[in-house]
Amino acid sequence: MASRDRTARVAVLGTSVQRSRNERRPSRGRTAHIRRVVLLGLVLLALVLLTVSFRSPTGGALHDAQGYGASVLRPFQVAAERVARPFRDAYDYVSGLTGAKAENKKLHREVRQLRAQYVANLAAASQLAEFKALLHFEELKTFPKNFRPVNTTVISFPGTFAQQVTIAAGSSSGLRINTPVVTADGLIGRVTNVTPHTAQVTLLSDPQSSVPAVDVTHHISGLIRRGPRGTFDLDRVPKEAIVKKGDVIVTRGTVDRRLPDYYPYGIPIGTVLSASPSDIATFLTVQVTPYARFDQLDAVAALVPKK
Amino acid sequence: MSGVDGLKAAALLFVAAIFQVSIFSQARVLGGEPDILLVTLVAVALLRGSMFGAVGGFFGGLLVDTATLSKLGLTSLVLTLAGYWIGRYGETTGRDRVHAPFLSVAVTTVLYAFGVLIVLFVLGEPAPAGPMVRGLVPSIVLNLVLTAPVYWLVRRLLRPLDHGDYATEVQLLG
Repeated sequence: MASRDRTARVAVLGTSVQRSRNERRPSRGRTAHIRRVVLLGLVLLALVLLTVSFRSPTGGALHDAQGYGASVLRPFQVAAERVARPFRDAYDYVSGLTGAKAENKKLHREVRQLRAQYVANLAAASQLAEFKALLHFEELKTFPKNFRPVNTTVISFPGTFAQQVTIAAGSSSGLRINTPVVTADGLIGRVTNVTPHTAQVTLLSDPQSSVPAVDVTHHISGLIRRGPRGTFDLDRVPKEAIVKKGDVIVTRGTVDRRLPDYYPYGIPIGTVLSASPSDIATFLTVQVTPYARFDQLDAVAALVPKK
Repeated sequence: MSGVDGLKAAALLFVAAIFQVSIFSQARVLGGEPDILLVTLVAVALLRGSMFGAVGGFFGGLLVDTATLSKLGLTSLVLTLAGYWIGRYGETTGRDRVHAPFLSVAVTTVLYAFGVLIVLFVLGEPAPAGPMVRGLVPSIVLNLVLTAPVYWLVRRLLRPLDHGDYATEVQLLG
């Protein structure tokens, strides 16, 4: 076998180069062995992390370590989000201009309708307060009166596989697992993982999300689940129930004190797009258009109960 | 290969991971999304080999999982294998080929998507195959658009190695 310190001759140029001792490289067999060991080690480490992470997704030493890591990464994420914001705003501005005139007309019509409704609601609300006082009516925490909004920004966005976002507020701001999260338009989801300075929010558009909801116009209850093409379905509505296009859907809130709901009563979710019975379905098929824009999440508020 | 190269690769992957979770993951076009971390990893693995690819993939994935509070190890597992495989391609067949970065990015985008889908399915997590398949072609196109500038940048920071760094036998021209 030839020595590693042999003179290597470059075939074309015909010159000889003395390979020095400190340029010695490990043999191919040894390099390949190290490479495989490193790969195997990393794969095993990833599998161990995955296993521990699945066994205790919201607690334990690994979750705490992840929390510290997320706290360290948070300033970088916030900085990157700020760098991207002007570009996103410019895009939104330009895309908003295309339908601005039609939208303006539609909004003016809505304002007129809502103004009339507001006056009627104001009169009803004053009567309601009197009736509650007369009946010594006891009620659970309601939205928005008994909640303090923790306003924050979204610092990571949903991917193809997970309908989850990360927000820049965590347990140090009072957030807990199952804290509801809203935008100015309506409900978007709830906190499913929390660290001291960040929290993971699972969106309503996640296939596993379901929210007890009620049609405030016709007092019909159901479950809001992900539907087709960016809409939601109001599931479990009996076929004989009356639900009409344009009805407002809000969170139902706690019905039984022993089984408190994650969401208080009255958080807006969306309006009914269509309601139709089907011969093969057990329940009414109710499609709901959400108020919140899940593709344009930017600033959100986590609803923390007041003491 | 030196420690300086390792630091440069780590810095590149760190920035790519932060940009991915904070900016690129919301840039959806026709259901697809660009993955700058994957493209950067492919560039690093092609230029520095399978060890850099595997280690870079592991830590890049760990950063993404940490920043998004996802299940730790999920992205790491798939990116480690992707980085190693592309690194081996760069050390052997793909060496000196102009199309290697583009081919690698296109193939890795498909394998990465299916890899994550399979891991999620095995773990019993929601694995939406429909949206993934519908967004696959736009994702490949978006990643290919990113490939040229990212590869150029990574190549500027991590100069290609001599052939001698890959193999020990005497090389003839070509």
